[in-house]
Amino acid sequence: MCDCCTESKKDIYLPQMATVTDTRLMNETEMYLKLTMDDGPFDFQPGHFVELSIAGIGEAPFTIASSPTQKGGFEVVVRRIGNVSNAIHALKAGSKIGVRGPLGDGLYPVQEAKGKNVLFVCGGIGLVPQRAFINYVLDNRSEYGEVAILMGTKNYDQRFFQEELAGWANRDDITFVETLDTGDPRWEGRVGVVTTLIEGVKDLLGNAVVPVCGPPIMYKFVLMTLEEYHVPHDRIYLNLERKMKCGVGKCGHCQINDLYCCMDGPVLKYSDLAAVPEAI
Amino acid sequence: MSKPRIAVFDFACCEGCQLQIVNLEEEILDLLAGADVVEWREAMSEQSDEYDIAIIEGSITRPEDEARIKEIRSRAKVLIALGACATIGGINKLKNNFDLDEVKTCVYGADAGKPHLATAMTKAVDEVVTVDFKVEGCPIDRKEFTYIVRCLLLGKTPEIPVYPVCVECKANGNPCLWDQGEVCLGPIIKAGCGARCPSNSHRCFGCRGYVDNPNVNAAKDVIEKYNLDIDTLKLKMSLFGSQQEPTVS
Amino acid sequence: MTVKKLAKNDFDSFIDAIIQSKKVYGPQVKGEKYDFAQLNAAQDLCMDYDVSLLPPTKYFLPVRETLMTFEVGGGYTSQQDEEPFVLVGVHPYDLVAINQMDILFSQDNYDSHYMTRRKHATIVACDVVTPSANVFASSMGTAVVKEGADVLVTDIGDGYLLEAMTDKGAILLASATRATEADASDMQKRQAVRDVNQKSLNKHELKCDSAYLPKLLSQAYDHSVWEEMAETCFACGSCNVVCPTCYCFDVKDDVNWDMASGKRERCVDGCLLDGFTKVAGDHEFRKVQAHRFRHRLFRKAKYVPAKIGGQIACVGCGRCVSACLPNIANPVTIYNKLLDDLGMS
Repeated sequence: MCDCCTESKKDIYLPQMATVTDTRLMNETEMYLKLTMDDGPFDFQPGHFVELSIAGIGEAPFTIASSPTQKGGFEVVVRRIGNVSNAIHALKAGSKIGVRGPLGDGLYPVQEAKGKNVLFVCGGIGLVPQRAFINYVLDNRSEYGEVAILMGTKNYDQRFFQEELAGWANRDDITFVETLDTGDPRWEGRVGVVTTLIEGVKDLLGNAVVPVCGPPIMYKFVLMTLEEYHVPHDRIYLNLERKMKCGVGKCGHCQINDLYCCMDGPVLKYSDLAAVPEAI
Repeated sequence: MSKPRIAVFDFACCEGCQLQIVNLEEEILDLLAGADVVEWREAMSEQSDEYDIAIIEGSITRPEDEARIKEIRSRAKVLIALGACATIGGINKLKNNFDLDEVKTCVYGADAGKPHLATAMTKAVDEVVTVDFKVEGCPIDRKEFTYIVRCLLLGKTPEIPVYPVCVECKANGNPCLWDQGEVCLGPIIKAGCGARCPSNSHRCFGCRGYVDNPNVNAAKDVIEKYNLDIDTLKLKMSLFGSQQEPTVS
Repeated sequence: MTVKKLAKNDFDSFIDAIIQSKKVYGPQVKGEKYDFAQLNAAQDLCMDYDVSLLPPTKYFLPVRETLMTFEVGGGYTSQQDEEPFVLVGVHPYDLVAINQMDILFSQDNYDSHYMTRRKHATIVACDVVTPSANVFASSMGTAVVKEGADVLVTDIGDGYLLEAMTDKGAILLASATRATEADASDMQKRQAVRDVNQKSLNKHELKCDSAYLPKLLSQAYDHSVWEEMAETCFACGSCNVVCPTCYCFDVKDDVNWDMASGKRERCVDGCLLDGFTKVAGDHEFRKVQAHRFRHRLFRKAKYVPAKIGGQIACVGCGRCVSACLPNIANPVTIYNKLLDDLGMS
């Protein structure tokens, strides 16, 4: 046993303090928060996640929703669904919060995708992690080929980031298509699941990198459709959700066969999942 | 923020769970620092209809109990079922295994027909009104009770184990009571008690109720392995598990 | 380093002297079984125990421990357990498990809680005297060890042979002033004990070299054995809790009555248990008990081995076999069935 490790002083479970600089309730359940670390640098890439801590309540994982190209802290979107997210919803600008991260080694292919088309397939709150990569691409627009964003939401009331989505829809250098699973009198756009949108952008699939993120049920159907268009598996990136309790590859909860979602993911290349039946 | 007002009510029970709260000793001062107790028959004489949190001990066994618990529910923002009688019906549910008239005659003899002795099938509190939180056990575990109260004061849903007693029992380093000839219900009963009974060499009686998916097939195998008969197991399960046990065939 | 010899009563004096200066933990009687507990006197130490109820890994990864304390709205303060202790009577298979945990908790992300305890421990291992009812360490190649402890003790009948394997061990042994140097005949006796153990700690015999298990499992993912065995699984997690190489944990917060301070604890968890993979919103990723059952066996002989240089993360202690009421946890039964059905290829 080595007694000289300086590493031993660091506690991988210990949160660092951050300050909430902005909050906004985006719909009934989703809250946007902007955070700035109180001490030290915070260098992250699209795909990184953090463990957010509310003392006394607990800790939960959230993927960073903003691109590192946008300076001044980082953003998360928190769905009100459990103890930690409930407590986060009570925070206001100026509140303190514990942060561990950035965590995860499986990140979005920001470099590999350069020069290629990018097709984002997003389902519901799956937009949040994708947004980090989307904004990265938009901020480095000339380095990527054609870009399309497909967004599916369960119903009208669950839509969020509406202004930002409207901005994407108005750009002429990207394709943005949105659909709702169920129609609504207030909605004039498309109705149907997100997979039905893929046909409309099939022409750019030729050399496209396809990041996918959505609820667990969505992946199977998106992958079946991408299979129909013969998209190679090594160009499909899945951002997977699991119970990432410790976030550092120890506690075992997020294991997907031999992979740790928190260490090998959360973004995993579909071609690496051929022998990982628990993934999809 | 003003302190939440707590009222404690009892239905059919031995009041032993309330006694566990009284027995918190110095911790009860901490509890009282965080909340105002406005009604608690076992510990004080004041009464009040104004409360935020209602703590209910006991099961619902008479027609008039149903009206009373519904009234309490309508006044309380949060309702907590305290102890096995309230959470699962407890020992009182043994009654449901018999004809009600027979039960009354057995207990009250010639007086059985008197109107104030009316009785009904025993119900757990959540069979009549919505229960927000349960403090399981016969009696409750004091540590768990105070944890749940602190969670409530924090606005947090308590994290209560859904796994069986065996986890806590093994973690305590106990030898298995089945190997000593006991029919211990640990494998199918919810943990959270810290395996209190088996850690003191008493088999698990099942006072916290069954886990969500008790494996009855496994129970049958084990019965065979230890040369017991299914009726022995059923009898052990009936003490706290009457009318709620998984079907054992 | 030289091997020393101590008469049995001198060994007791040696242990009693250590107890005077440090916490010492060792196997003691518990009911009709044995378990590791703090020693008050060497006479309570059972060096001839068969197996302990819980593995001694509990001294490095306790079933419950405080990771940190916190102030609500303030910062977090790491809690590290730096008290030195001596762990006496660790069997070879458990020592292998501890050494595997050392790798898992130090590589990738260094777990200071486990490692701080580990660094402050002196481990006195001992060769097995009494094989337990379900041990199969011989099948797993863990019946005898040559490294990984600070001191290795062997009962050779008329005394103990003690070999220091590290500097820490040598310092500990230096206090055994009545020790003599072991002679050739003593060394032969020690070798004889080990030769016997190498083969006889084998109440369940694996029909292949344990190194073949990852390959065997890679063909067995969809085999019916998982369904068949899990049919009578209570999902009680007993196999997880008693396993020396199960290290999954949960983390929970609790506040003090002041509602302003509290602690974050980690506690034992298990992949067989309901809710283990459940995320907020109640989606549970590994819901079928047979899949959980398979996951545990795959971790032992395929997933974890890939992280620790191919070592099989089942050390053959047999605790899961003893702890499993419906008697479905025996890894050897499962591996042998797979071998029968799939053959060696």
